[in-house]
Amino acid sequence: MQILRQTNLEALKLAKELGPEKVLQILERKALVGRGGASFPLAKKWKLALDAKKKNTNKNNSKDIYLICNADEGEPGTFKDKFILKNNPETLIEGILIAAYTLNAKKAFIYLRNEYEFLLNDLENTIKSLLKKSKMENKVEIKIVRGAGAYICGEETAIMQSIMGYRGQSQYKPPYPTEQGLWESPTVLNNVETLTCVPQALLYDDWNPNLRLFSASGDIENPGIYEWELGVKMSTILDTVKPKQEIKALSFGCFGGIMPINKNTLVTTETICEEDCQHGAFTIIFIGKNRNIVDICLSIAKFYTYESCGKCTPCREGTIRILNLLKKVRDKKATPADLELLKELSQHIKETSLCGLGQSSTNHILTSLEHFKPDYMEYIKK
Amino acid sequence: MVKKQNKRIEKKEDILLNILHEEQDKKGYISIEAMKRISTEYQIPISRIYGVVKFYTMLRTEPQGKYIIELCGSPTCVLNESREIEKFLEKELNIKIGETTKDKMFSVYKTSCIGCCDEPPAMLLNGKPVTKLTLERVKKLLNELKKK
Repeated sequence: MQILRQTNLEALKLAKELGPEKVLQILERKALVGRGGASFPLAKKWKLALDAKKKNTNKNNSKDIYLICNADEGEPGTFKDKFILKNNPETLIEGILIAAYTLNAKKAFIYLRNEYEFLLNDLENTIKSLLKKSKMENKVEIKIVRGAGAYICGEETAIMQSIMGYRGQSQYKPPYPTEQGLWESPTVLNNVETLTCVPQALLYDDWNPNLRLFSASGDIENPGIYEWELGVKMSTILDTVKPKQEIKALSFGCFGGIMPINKNTLVTTETICEEDCQHGAFTIIFIGKNRNIVDICLSIAKFYTYESCGKCTPCREGTIRILNLLKKVRDKKATPADLELLKELSQHIKETSLCGLGQSSTNHILTSLEHFKPDYMEYIKK
Repeated sequence: MVKKQNKRIEKKEDILLNILHEEQDKKGYISIEAMKRISTEYQIPISRIYGVVKFYTMLRTEPQGKYIIELCGSPTCVLNESREIEKFLEKELNIKIGETTKDKMFSVYKTSCIGCCDEPPAMLLNGKPVTKLTLERVKKLLNELKKK
């Protein structure tokens, strides 16, 4: 697997020889994009922060850039960052060091979700040893912040609130983190996988930007982390993961939506879920044909009522109403009018919520109502 | 007066979440007294500390059992019969999710996803993953823990 390639501080050495500008040029040329789900070009993000810093300096308000490594991998069904933290933490830390060097950041935070607490000691030791080996102990501090079970803290404004010692609630944007993030300083947020790719992309000429990590789980014999190239055929994926029963649907984490499976789909960032769905970080939960989609939706709806941060009304109240309506459907007490209400409410929540969590909290309802209506009708009062 | 107020600014190095975790690691939970102490020590308003503690599900304000079980409730685990494990835990320990047994041995919670989707159903036992759960395995595990 490309993501497991070690760089042994050679990439950091190379970065220092080349200088920040060259590093940015190479990363741009290699087309490294964010792997947390939004696919934002990495070099562009780093440049935005550097520009913001420059602007501040011109106003005599110079502030160092902060770096945050987002290891708050909370999306249900996603476990690729854990795979990296366990199997290649050295390259991740080297990525952080290269980022710190390029951005001239003095402080980096790794926001580690507390569900991965068991990785904490090893990670701390890796940080210590690499700081020492790279002789960067006095140049940059890498601090681990332990999350505490809030899914919303994977969102960029919420994670910053959490690090600064507040409730992890999302904030209005702009200002964007690259302009005004932690303690009003320009802040760069990158995902674990993205930062691990940095040294690999710098060092290896044959580094392939199209190889992505997939988290596969559900009704399959071989759940796990796989690395496939964008454009891989869905039938190839199925041959590898080996369905336990015929697969009828794919759920892309909780936030991505639920889609019927098409064995001929070529999986790219655009086509994995077609237009009404979000692919995120290539999380696929395979759902067998014996399942009723309403039951799956019910567990996703429970997740959202539990994880809504409570800041904005559509998400805080709406997710509860959605759950209650779904329970009504499951208990066979709902009418076709309730399904209409479910759809309308879902659309409202999607359009009016403050952040990505709320906006995507009803994707599973909207997509499943469109593609799996018979599953709902099975439960509708006759 | 102004000088006194200046002293009240917490430092950026003081990551409140880490301070709270440290307290919880030591005592098992974060009491009101502990919040007051942290508030004085770091000059952070107690109202903010309380708000933060209450926001995060993994920070607890009540004494916990010796063993904390956090059962994964992700769709993947639900597809793999985690609800049966949930019912079994509730029945076997005679408590509801979110409660602690009277003998203070077990606290049971449900979490959103613990990232063990390749080995479902799964749970955390005092922070460490226990995976590929079956009713027999959970029963055996509980019996072993009760004997300790």
